[in-house]
Amino acid sequence: MSEASAGAAGREHRLRERFGDGAHGARLHPIAPVDAEIFHAPRFWVLVLLAMAAALLQATLLHGVAIRGGRLSLLTVLIVWTGLRCGVTTGGWLGLIGGIFEDALGGGGVNVLGATLAGFGAGLLSRRFFSDSIPVFAGAVAATTLLRTLANYAVIELAFGERGMFHRMSHEMLWQIVLNVFAAIVVLLVLRAASHAPRSRS
Amino acid sequence: MVAIHSYWDERKLLVFVTLTIIACAVMLLEIDAARNGRQSPIDDVVSAVLTPIESILSGAANGIANEAQSLVHANGLATDNRALQLKVQQLAGANERLKAKAVENQELRRMLGMQQALALLAHPGVVADVVGYAPETPRDEITIDRGSRDGVRTDAVVVSGEGLVGHVISVGRHDARVLLITDPSSAVPAYLSRTATWGIVTGTWLHAKMKYINQDTRVLDGDPVVTGRGEVYPGGIPIGHVLEVDRKDNALYQSAVLRPNVDFSSLAHVIVLPAQ
Repeated sequence: MSEASAGAAGREHRLRERFGDGAHGARLHPIAPVDAEIFHAPRFWVLVLLAMAAALLQATLLHGVAIRGGRLSLLTVLIVWTGLRCGVTTGGWLGLIGGIFEDALGGGGVNVLGATLAGFGAGLLSRRFFSDSIPVFAGAVAATTLLRTLANYAVIELAFGERGMFHRMSHEMLWQIVLNVFAAIVVLLVLRAASHAPRSRS
Repeated sequence: MVAIHSYWDERKLLVFVTLTIIACAVMLLEIDAARNGRQSPIDDVVSAVLTPIESILSGAANGIANEAQSLVHANGLATDNRALQLKVQQLAGANERLKAKAVENQELRRMLGMQQALALLAHPGVVADVVGYAPETPRDEITIDRGSRDGVRTDAVVVSGEGLVGHVISVGRHDARVLLITDPSSAVPAYLSRTATWGIVTGTWLHAKMKYINQDTRVLDGDPVVTGRGEVYPGGIPIGHVLEVDRKDNALYQSAVLRPNVDFSSLAHVIVLPAQ
């Protein structure tokens, strides 16, 4: 008898001693471990490539996707998802690298601090909430967009002396939150659908 | 258990402090470079990789827009005759592509005209393609695919066939950032060419606004506005037309909302003039 089957028989014997055989002689089966994760996070270098792609798309194809001046930020969605899924370290590092990409494409140092704090902040939530929950993800994206934008405005005001940014841009920021939350929900639904799709076993 | 909690808190604090220090260092490096009108070494390295991809993506975006327009037109024609649907779609598609080329040709001719009008043939400007927009910052900036190796310098004025676009605020080796005249931090010396009255044109995101116009001047809707010669800008470049006049009797100056000549949403090619 192998060690595994001996262990299973021992567990079954102890359960029978405690609860009996049952009225109908039902057999007790050990419960097979089930993977509760809906979608596994990719490796870090894949996340970095995704961050680069998101920043590039925002600077080119998605620049026209705007409602009342608020523009979609795929990078924010990616950073929050990574933070919630992988924790503070990965979320924070991805935020830092994503912020550097955004600043390299135009921004003059405005984005990097906000993006880093966004990744770290989302990572703080990772052990307190179920990260595949739509309300949690959408709420985290909304809060992160708000905090990130405030950080950007603060840097612009302090470093470049442009006053009244928050007052001028608060309307656009609210529309950006709406767009980002919508994108977050779509992304999570797509990931869920992908994880439930049948996979071929080789 | 207390030890485990303490371990996690310390680890998070360490990550937070490390990331914040690195992010602040990168931010200060970038801000310092931006204030001096250049790009940081990090930007130079990242831009060298990203700018070619950005250029391809921008080309793809324009292609998609043209194709979408072609399909819209083709669908309208196809309803008349089902038998010729395929042929009509092909012809309409080809026609739209030719139209796009014709528009581009016209734009390039206008740019050449602008170059000649500014008597720049002795020192021709640098023709550049618009490859992207700032992805997250609220500033109205564009990225062009010409940098210091092509002779682009900070504060160089950027024009298109229709008129003034803005000026260069930072230059990398392979690319440069241009602050548009619609950004509120932009300030262009300008005058109303009909009355020769001076003012300052700043941005309002959607339009531009000419401020500090003398109260005695009678400003009319549609009045053309051109640049006045200053430290950065040469004189006589068209900026836009007066859309609305804001005049209050008790104010020191009047102002006017302008409709810029340049359509910034479809800007594809620009000329970077030599810095003065």
